[in-house]
Amino acid sequence: MYKVFAFLKRNTALLSHDEYRAGHVGFHCCNSRRLKNLRGYLVNIWANEDLRAKLGDQYDAISFNEPEAFTDYWDGFPEVYFDDRESWTRAGTPEPTRATEDGLSIDEDWTFDDVRFLFDPVESVSDESTAGEFHSHHLHMEEHLFVPVSRPEHKITKVIQFFRRAPTLSTDAFQAKMLEDYAAIASQLPGLLGYVVNFQDENMDAAIEGYYPADSWRFSEAGRAHRAEFSNLFDGATEMHFESIEDFIKAMNSPEHQQLTQLERSLFDALWYVEVDENLIVIPNRDPAPGFYFR
Amino acid sequence: MLKVFGFVTRNPSLTHDEYRAGHVGYHNSFGRRLNNIRGYLLNVRSNTHLNDTFDEQVVDQLTRGEPIDFDEQWDGWGQLMFDSKEHYIAGRTPARDRADANGLQDDEMAGRVGGDFDYLYAGSPFQFHVDEHVAKPVIRPERKLFKLAQFVKRTADLEPDLFRAYWTGRYATLISQLPGLTGLVFNLRTSLDVMTEFFPADAEGFTSQGIERRNHFYSSWDGIIEYWLDDPAMFIDERRSGQHSQTITEMEANLFDRVFYREVDETVAVLPNRNLAPDFYHR
Repeated sequence: MYKVFAFLKRNTALLSHDEYRAGHVGFHCCNSRRLKNLRGYLVNIWANEDLRAKLGDQYDAISFNEPEAFTDYWDGFPEVYFDDRESWTRAGTPEPTRATEDGLSIDEDWTFDDVRFLFDPVESVSDESTAGEFHSHHLHMEEHLFVPVSRPEHKITKVIQFFRRAPTLSTDAFQAKMLEDYAAIASQLPGLLGYVVNFQDENMDAAIEGYYPADSWRFSEAGRAHRAEFSNLFDGATEMHFESIEDFIKAMNSPEHQQLTQLERSLFDALWYVEVDENLIVIPNRDPAPGFYFR
Repeated sequence: MLKVFGFVTRNPSLTHDEYRAGHVGYHNSFGRRLNNIRGYLLNVRSNTHLNDTFDEQVVDQLTRGEPIDFDEQWDGWGQLMFDSKEHYIAGRTPARDRADANGLQDDEMAGRVGGDFDYLYAGSPFQFHVDEHVAKPVIRPERKLFKLAQFVKRTADLEPDLFRAYWTGRYATLISQLPGLTGLVFNLRTSLDVMTEFFPADAEGFTSQGIERRNHFYSSWDGIIEYWLDDPAMFIDERRSGQHSQTITEMEANLFDRVFYREVDETVAVLPNRNLAPDFYHR
């Protein structure tokens, strides 16, 4: 599957973090869940109480070199799934999904006009070309599924483990060790309901070339610098699902995690965790798509 | 939780697959924004007949008294979950979930569920409350599960309270032990009025014709069992000839005047959250 993470910061002049939640998960997703050929769609929003507050000193024992004020860069990140890159870049093609007096029609009111109010706007009043543009970090992620996610009918705990490769390792060597040595053990942590490793595509533009117009601010020198600053903070992110935060803490105290600690110091230059509230907009369907409209 | 089902027939201007796109696409996108909604599923009748999935003889063996016109009366059904009836009724009020130049604003289109009722459906939904019994909590993997709906009509000489006790008792226990299940939920239709205030007073459902249409539909069944199947073949084999097969069949003969099945395609518009709601907007 073609998987994209899009880290987004709210429009702080207009919205609190909780208002952003409602605007993103509510109205915005009402439109975006109708993207053509969408195969899965989650919106992860950082929890109102951070892990350091919940774990106390233990947080410092499991993390190191966390970028300063990391969650100031973003409020939420959707993850979208498509069959391939072409489906992703054409996702904005309108489809007839609205019943009208003329039968099934294209929804003329389908809109993403809210993005300039919902997300952090690009400030450049004198430059008309940035009107309506917003800061975003769309990243193509290469996914490795170790424990397929199973969701019960209640809200479960989701923790994202962000990691940056140790400079002593090449990308290939790092990814091989991460998958063969680290994740093989980490995916055995007790209490896991899902464990998915995602490596960031080294091409920072992979997810946005062909998706946004070539004259988008994102491709300007300032836009590239802005995106590079964020994408250079980490090389990948692992999604970890647990029944509760207590189960996450138990996993971090387990013998399996003890085995990981030494590996972490050799594999990673930085390692840190963010708890997110997952909103399930379209449950990912990893089987082939059925021959009818399905979400 | 308050659990409400709404069976709908597509507007005659739409094919079944066009209805799917309209309901799953536009309509569900608005419905999932209803204030305080705690769960929202849509079940659309499968394009594949059960006889094409399972051995026709097995389907015949498990079926009794299926109404001939059953499929003409519905194309799909939505399932709404709320904490209370007050929340359910208030779900139709504008939702404060749209960002504009003045911050977060109310959007009345959420409460109107997109305002497409007249074009998506033929008449009002058959909307009713169900008394739910979760025999096996649903676990959903990241792929489309096979979902089976079993419609049953209580034996006429069995008192409703006894029926509920037996249905959700030993019968549910035996069924829940069948292999291949990832969820099993029993739903008994109740007489609680969940249409007044939710639909406008002039809705077709309140006319004599609408009431007649609805009562005709209700006359053929009293309850629905939802089966989520990870391995439908294993399930049906065990149901046909497994250890408890004969016992289950005998119980069904005593419990049900009618029993018949449909496959449905489930859309999870809002994953049900049976725990307490968090104190922030969450779907």
